[in-house]
Amino acid sequence: MLGGYFVLLAIFLYAPLAVMIIFAFDDSFVQTLPWSGFTTKWFSNAFSNEELIGSLERSLWIGIVAAILATLLGLITAVGMTARKLRFRGALTALVLLPLVIPYIVLAVGMLILLNWLGLQRTLFAVLLGHVAVSVPYCLLIILPRLRTLDQAIVDAARDLGASPWTAFRRVTLPLVVPALFASALIAFTISFDEFAIASFLVPPGEPTYPVYVYTGARTPALQPQILALGSVVVVASLVIVTAAEIFRTRAERKLAV
Amino acid sequence: MSVATSASHERTSLVERLSTPGRGWLTLPAIFFLLAVFIFPLVLIGLYSVNLLTNRFGVPTSFSLVNWESFVPPGDNVFWDRFKSSMVITLVVSVLAVVAAYPVAYFLAFVARRRRYTLLLLILAPFFTSYLLRVIAWKVILSNNGVINSVLWQLGLREHGDGVTWLIYSWFAVGLVLFYSWVPFVALPIYVVLENMDTRLLEAAQDLGAGRLRTFFRVTLPLSLPGVIAAFVFVLIPTTGEFIAPLLVGGPDSSMFGNAIQSFFQETPNWNYGAVLAMWLIAVVLVLVLLFGRFLSTDLRESKATT
Repeated sequence: MLGGYFVLLAIFLYAPLAVMIIFAFDDSFVQTLPWSGFTTKWFSNAFSNEELIGSLERSLWIGIVAAILATLLGLITAVGMTARKLRFRGALTALVLLPLVIPYIVLAVGMLILLNWLGLQRTLFAVLLGHVAVSVPYCLLIILPRLRTLDQAIVDAARDLGASPWTAFRRVTLPLVVPALFASALIAFTISFDEFAIASFLVPPGEPTYPVYVYTGARTPALQPQILALGSVVVVASLVIVTAAEIFRTRAERKLAV
Repeated sequence: MSVATSASHERTSLVERLSTPGRGWLTLPAIFFLLAVFIFPLVLIGLYSVNLLTNRFGVPTSFSLVNWESFVPPGDNVFWDRFKSSMVITLVVSVLAVVAAYPVAYFLAFVARRRRYTLLLLILAPFFTSYLLRVIAWKVILSNNGVINSVLWQLGLREHGDGVTWLIYSWFAVGLVLFYSWVPFVALPIYVVLENMDTRLLEAAQDLGAGRLRTFFRVTLPLSLPGVIAAFVFVLIPTTGEFIAPLLVGGPDSSMFGNAIQSFFQETPNWNYGAVLAMWLIAVVLVLVLLFGRFLSTDLRESKATT
């Protein structure tokens, strides 16, 4: 009985994704049954829609840079937080975890006011900073436990053999946390690439990120089929990446098991 | 092995190595960064809410609680009511998501055995696809000539063109989409608790004559409550500030508190009033965190090898 329930819930979870893919191949502007016939024109339309592709490129770049910055910031903060004596540890922990609970809309509004206060225009750079801010707690939560579970004896051995703290970190600690760094970067990229709330407040006119463009497209019937077509590609790609990353992570962690 | 470990403990542990004076300063970049892009903007929102900052023409820049007074009862009540209905849908969604996810977690922890890891990934994977795209997919399913209505027409269950009106632009649609997007994620904390449960306790209960139902309600369920509450809070907190699902599948009467905030900063700009609503939202979320925070195992001071 539980197995049956599980199957039903899995169908419920995947049905909307299947619907999106089915209608991406439907030869009609209006997504309704019966199906109007098979076509791939929405895919070619989507890929020749420069605004759509432009927004996708923007989001890819912001996502990649945000992933690198958030992971770097997460790593150095995590190393700092392993310090045995750390003043204001409680306040620091609260500060770095706060972006997890504060609604994105409040963050977005705050950054909009900040830009206004500084006399600056809305810019993609502000979107990037916002994405780094919301990603850092996730990166930290992935990297810090990994640092804490490293076998101390290995690092001690490196130090005993004459390695400086920096060399020991670079040659011993760093390689051992690489899987966590990949996981952290992947999460940060996913958050940034999909992030709508902050971006919708901060993107400059005419330079939407992919989610912002998708939102506009979803309210424009003529664009909707293209959104579904490119959306199907994005959804399938992310399912593949998530699965591959998970397999990679378990294998890597098993290999590095300490 | 044990000798080596204890010897290394006698020398210096990794923690001590890393705590050489100056290691803690590595947290400074993150502190400054978050203060600048996160905390300071919250202060600015606070200043806007009491008119100490304003960008409205003709509004004097001086301390005033006028916006607060019109929001909090006995004010004009429009947005206070919006807040209340928003919290009701949030609570309903949180409870339903937990109830729906529990059997899945139970199945994965106790029935699925060797395939549990694959099946968990199967359930979680949709959560990592674009939220916005999933909401749009639901719009295709629920809309007036969408999948559900057109199937009803094809089957002759309803007159062609006569769609079920509450399917979209309604609280039903908003609730369904939020429920859908949280169920997989909510299964995770419950699964973790069940997975780590001492199964000897369950065997003991059965040895002492408890039936399967009795074992579940007297032993399994109470022991899994920390995971259940964590799951509940995992939905509750983010949904409190939700505004995307109502934008796409909600109607004028089924928009949430987040939409009110958004409208005051975009469509009908009144940043001062919007700032009051934003401050209120922060206050509510912080109260929730203080109430339930101990159930969320994200405490970095305590966190050990859980992943």
